[in-house]
Amino acid sequence: MSYYFTILSPTDAPLFNIAFGTSKSGGDGIARFRFPDTAQYMNQFIIHSSLDIVEEAQWMNGNLYLKHIDTYPPAQAYISAFLTPSGARFLLLHQPPQLPSTSSSGGNTGSSSLLGSSFSASALGGGSSGRASSSSIAANPTAPQTEEAVRQFMNEVYENYVKTVMSPFYRVGLEIKSPVFRARVTAAGKKWL
Amino acid sequence: MTSPGDAPPVKPPPSFSPGVPRVASKARYPDQRRDSSPALGSTSDLAGSRINTSPTPPLSATTADLPIRIASPHARSVRSITPQLTRSTLGSPLEGRFEGSEDIRSLIARAFSPVVAVYASADTDELVRQKGFKGGFWELIRPFGEDVHGKVVIRDIIGAGHGWEDYGVHFVDLGGVVQNRSPGQDSSPLAQVEEVLERQLNSADDPLVGSVQPNDVLGMPSTSSIYKFFLRQLLSASPVSSHETFRHPVACVIAISSRNTAPLESLRQLYADTSNGDKKMPPWVHSEFLRYYVLVHDEDRDDITESTKLYDQMKRHFGLHCHLLRLRSNQCVVTDDDSVRVPECEWLSPSEHLQGVGQTDGVPYLFDSDVMAIKTFVRELVAQSVIPFMENRVAVWNDQVASRRRGLSGRFMSLSRRWTGFGAGSRSSFAGSGSGGVSGNYDAVHGFYKPDTPEAILRKLADFAFMLRDWKLSASTYELVRSDYGNDKAWRYHAGAHEMCAVSMLLNPLAISGKTKLETVDQMLETACYSYLTRCSDATNGLRCLTLAIELLKSRGGSATESATRWAMRAMDIGLVGSIGQILFSERVSACYASKVGLGSGVWKQGSRRRKAGMWSVFAADLWLKNRKPALASASLEEAERLYADVLDTDGVFPMPEMQSFIDNLRHAIRVQYLGARGLDTDEYADDSTAPLETQATEETSEKLDKRSHRRSLMGIPNSTDPGSLNPPPVTRENETPSHDDFERA
Amino acid sequence: MAHPRHGSMLSFGGGPNNTTPSEKPLFQNAPISTASQSSPGLRVPSNRKTIYDRHLNRSRNAELSRASFAFLFSEMVTYAQRRVTGIQDLERRLNEQGYPLGLRLLDLLFYRTIAGSSSSSSASALSTSSTTSSPPNRPLRILPLLHLIHGPLWRLLFNRPADALEHSVSPDTPNEYMITDNDPMVNTYISVPREMSMLNCAAFVAGIIEGVCDGCGFEAKVSAHNQPSEMWPGRTVFLLRFGESVMEREVVLEKAGVK
Repeated sequence: MSYYFTILSPTDAPLFNIAFGTSKSGGDGIARFRFPDTAQYMNQFIIHSSLDIVEEAQWMNGNLYLKHIDTYPPAQAYISAFLTPSGARFLLLHQPPQLPSTSSSGGNTGSSSLLGSSFSASALGGGSSGRASSSSIAANPTAPQTEEAVRQFMNEVYENYVKTVMSPFYRVGLEIKSPVFRARVTAAGKKWL
Repeated sequence: MTSPGDAPPVKPPPSFSPGVPRVASKARYPDQRRDSSPALGSTSDLAGSRINTSPTPPLSATTADLPIRIASPHARSVRSITPQLTRSTLGSPLEGRFEGSEDIRSLIARAFSPVVAVYASADTDELVRQKGFKGGFWELIRPFGEDVHGKVVIRDIIGAGHGWEDYGVHFVDLGGVVQNRSPGQDSSPLAQVEEVLERQLNSADDPLVGSVQPNDVLGMPSTSSIYKFFLRQLLSASPVSSHETFRHPVACVIAISSRNTAPLESLRQLYADTSNGDKKMPPWVHSEFLRYYVLVHDEDRDDITESTKLYDQMKRHFGLHCHLLRLRSNQCVVTDDDSVRVPECEWLSPSEHLQGVGQTDGVPYLFDSDVMAIKTFVRELVAQSVIPFMENRVAVWNDQVASRRRGLSGRFMSLSRRWTGFGAGSRSSFAGSGSGGVSGNYDAVHGFYKPDTPEAILRKLADFAFMLRDWKLSASTYELVRSDYGNDKAWRYHAGAHEMCAVSMLLNPLAISGKTKLETVDQMLETACYSYLTRCSDATNGLRCLTLAIELLKSRGGSATESATRWAMRAMDIGLVGSIGQILFSERVSACYASKVGLGSGVWKQGSRRRKAGMWSVFAADLWLKNRKPALASASLEEAERLYADVLDTDGVFPMPEMQSFIDNLRHAIRVQYLGARGLDTDEYADDSTAPLETQATEETSEKLDKRSHRRSLMGIPNSTDPGSLNPPPVTRENETPSHDDFERA
Repeated sequence: MAHPRHGSMLSFGGGPNNTTPSEKPLFQNAPISTASQSSPGLRVPSNRKTIYDRHLNRSRNAELSRASFAFLFSEMVTYAQRRVTGIQDLERRLNEQGYPLGLRLLDLLFYRTIAGSSSSSSASALSTSSTTSSPPNRPLRILPLLHLIHGPLWRLLFNRPADALEHSVSPDTPNEYMITDNDPMVNTYISVPREMSMLNCAAFVAGIIEGVCDGCGFEAKVSAHNQPSEMWPGRTVFLLRFGESVMEREVVLEKAGVK
C-alpha cells in the first residue's frame, strides 16, 4: 500500500504533503505508486478532484473523520478525508500495490489497444485478479480495519496539527514547514498504516 | 457580501504566498501589472500585437484562425475580464444539457431503427446506375430512409399515439443480410471503428476537428462531433447476429422497373428468392417479414400510362403494399437547374467506411422531382406499411405469447420448467413451455433459438417494441425472458436481453425514479457485460452495451452520472477502447462530471463535480497531445480551464504546484506541437514562447487571491511576517490605508 | 509590528498553554527555516522539547491571572487606538485581533473534547451543543453553531456560558442572531471616556466569534454593542449577521434533513 497524505486549507492551498509506503507486513515505508515517476502529479490531481466529494460530504456529515469518500478507479486510488473544525482538510490517498499480473490494466496512461480476440482473456484476468487482491485484508482499502487504522492516523495527525496551529508563530493558512511536524506525521504513518 | 463571480476581476493581491519563489516574483509585480492592465482592458489589442510581432505572414494567419487560442494568455485574460459572461453561460447548464442529452437519446433511438432489406431486379439496378449510383437501387434510396420526412405517428401497446420527428429506417442490401457481411471480417469491428476514427482525424481538411470548436466557443459542454461519429460507428458496427433481431429485416422492398418485360413474373421470382432461393435468410431469422413491391417508372423513356396499368395490376395481385416510384433515368449534374444534393449516409458501418463507401465523387446530385418522389415513397413505406405491420405483430405476439407468460399460469409454467421439468411434452405451441428443466428450444450446437420458439418470439417482440419506441413494453418483455436465456445457458441472448432491458428502462422517460431502480439497472448492465465479455468474448457488443449505458445514464442526470463515469472508466480499464477511444471516453467522463449540477443555485453551491470534470479534460488533452493532435488537445485543455474556472482562483492558478507545472508544460507542449504541425520553425518559436509563459506565471502567482468571499477574512491575517520583509507597502498600492493594508476586509 | 503582538495575544487567549515561558516553541516564521531536517535555522529549546512534545490538555484546568490579562488587554486596546481614525476603526482593529484567535480556539476546543472524552468534565464541555455525545460533530446548521459559541466556547474563554441567545424577531433580518453577555470579562477594567460612549472593547470577543463562525464555514459579521440595563450596566450584545450563502445552505440542509 502506498500513501499520499495532504493537508489543504479551506481555500485548497496545500499546507503539507508527504508520500510514504506501508510499514505493516514487511513494508519498507517507501511509496510505490502505479504511475511512473514522471507522473507523480497524478496524486495531486486525484486528491484535488476528490475535493468535489469532500465539499459535498462536508455538509451532510458532521463527523471530523469522513471515512473513505472517493475512488479513482483507473489507478485504484482510494481517498479518505478528515476535516478539522476550522476547515482544514486532511486527505489520504491510498493505493494497493500493483500486482505483477495486472500490469496490462494499469492507469489510463498504459497501453490499451487490446482490441480483438486477445482482449477478453486479459480483461478477464484484470478483473478477477483485481478482485482477488481486494479480498486480502492488508491490501483492501475499504475494509473496516483499514478505516479504523486511517482514523487513528488522522486523529494523531490532528493532534499535531492543533499543536502547530496553537503555535503563535504559525499563521493559519500557511504551509507547515516544521521538520518536527513532518517527523510526527511519518511516525504516525509508521504506527498505523 | 459579493458572490464569487461578481467580485471585481482586479483586486489588490493579498501577500499570502506560501513559496519563497513566489515572494521573489512579486518584486517584479508592479511593472507586470501595468503591462497587463491595458491587455485586460481589450484582448483584441493583445491578440493584435501578438500577431504583429510574429515574424512570418503564415504565422499570423495561423494565430488568427486558431479559435482555440493556443496562446492561452488570451484565453485567460478573456476569462478574467468577463466573469459575468462565464457565469451566465454556466448559470443555465440545464438547457444545454437537456438539448445535448436529447440529441444523444435521439441518436441512440435512431441507431435501432427497423431494417428494411432492398431487393431490386437487374433492370432496376441498371436504370439507377444510369443515374450515377453504382450500387443500384439500394444505394439510391438508402440516405432517404434515415430520416423519414415529417412526423411519424406510432401507437404503443395501449393504443396511445406518439409522434416522432426523427424516425427513420435503415435500408440494407438483401444480399448483405444473407451473407452476413463477410467482406470486412478480417479484423474485428472494434479495430475497424478505431481505424475509421484514425482515418477521420487524419483526413487533410478535417471537418470534424473544425466543428469541435463552435461548441467550445459557446462554452457549453456539448457532445463533440467526433464523439458522435464514434458513437454512430460503434452502434452500426455489430454484425447481424442471432441473439438480437434489430438487424433482421422487418420488411423487404422488392423493386422492378418499367423496363422489365415480364414484370409480374419478375416480381414473383424475386419474392420466391427472398423466401427460399439463394437469397434465403439464415435459419435464425424469422421468415415472416413484410414484402413491399415497388415499380420504378422511368420518366424519361417510358410511357406513364403503361406503368399505371401495370401498377394497377400489381395492386390486384399483391395487395396494398405497393408503390409506383417515378424517377428520371438521366443523370443529374450540378449545373442542372433543379439539382439537389443527395444527403450523406449517416449510418455507414465501419467496414463500409474503410471501403470508402460514400466517398465516391461526382454522384450526389438528383433532380428535385426525383428527391420528392423518393421521399414520398419512403414516407408511405414507413408510415403506411412498415409501422402498421410492426404494430400488428407486436399486438399479436404480445397477446399470444407474452400475456400468457405474464399471467399466473405462465409464471407457474416457467417455475415448473425451471425446477421440475413438469411441463415436459406439453408442446402447446406457445405458453413458454419447454421440454425440461432446460428448454430444448435452444440449439446449443449452432447457438440459436429457432425463430418460432417462444424465447425467440419474445425477443423479437421486445425488439419490435423497442424499435417502435415503446420502451415500457420492451423493458417488461426483456425482463420476462432474460432469466430463461440464463437457464438455457444461451449466454449471448442472456447478455443481449439484460443489455436491452437496461437500455429500455433508461430510454423510457418516465421509468426510473429512486436509487433502487438505478441499482437494478446497474446490476443488469453488470450481468450483460459479464456475459458478453467473459462468456462470449464479444467485445463489440460489450462496448456497445457500456457506451449505451454511459450515454443514457448521463442523460438521466443526478446520481446516475456517477454510474455513467464508473462504466466509462470500466470500459477504459478493461481495454475495450483503442487509443483514440480512450481519449474520447476521457472526454466523456469529463462531460458526465460536468453535467452534474449541484445543490444550491446561487451563492452557495455543492455537489457539482467541476474538479473531476476538469481533471479528465486535462487527461484528454494530454492524450490528444500524445497522439499528435494538438488542435484537439488544445480544445480539451480549453474546456478544462473553463471547468476549473469555477473552483480555482480568478486566474486559474492551481493551488498545488505539481498540477500547475504539469498544466503549464502541457500548454507549452501543445503550442509547440501545433506550430510544428503547421510547418513553422518551432525552435525559433519555442524560444519566443517561453517568455510569455514566464510572465504569465508571475502574473498568476502574484494575483493569487481567494474568491470565495466568506473566506476572505481567513486571508485577512496579517501577512508580512515582520516589518522588515521584502514586502514594502507600495506594492499593494491600491489599498486605501497603506499601513493597514494587510486587513483585506470589505 | 502588528504580528508579534498578535502572536502573543493568540496563545494567551487561546488557552493557557503558554504559562511556562521557558519552553520556547519552535520558531517557524524565520525565512531561513526551510523544511530540511538539519536546517541551521531550527532552534530546539534547551530542554529538547518542542511544542509537539507538550500535551494539549495539560494546561486545560490551569488558571490565569486576571490582572495580567487585564493589563495585556488594555495594552492591546491602547496599541490599537494609536493609529485609528475613529471608534469604528478601533472596533475593527480589535475585531481583527480576535479573529485568528477564534480560528485556533475552534481546533483546540474540538481536540480537547476528543482527547479528553474519557474524563467527565470534557464530555460535558460540548454536551450542550452537540447532538451526539462523542466524538463531537462539526456544526452543520446555525443553531448548533450558536450553541457551541454560547456554551463551550464561552466556558473555555470565561469559564461560564454566555447569558442569552436570541434570534432576530424582524422578518427582514432572519440572518441575525444575538448572544448576550451581561458582564463581559474583557470590559471589566476598561473605562470608556464619555465622548467615546459608543465604543465597546468587546469587539475583540466579537472577532473571536467571527473567527469561530468562519472556521466552521459560516460566513458572518459579528459586532459588539452596548446595551446596559439597570442591573447590568456593562451588558453587551454580540450581533451575528450570517451571509447569504449560509442562509441559502440552511434552506438546502433543512430540506435534506440535516441537523
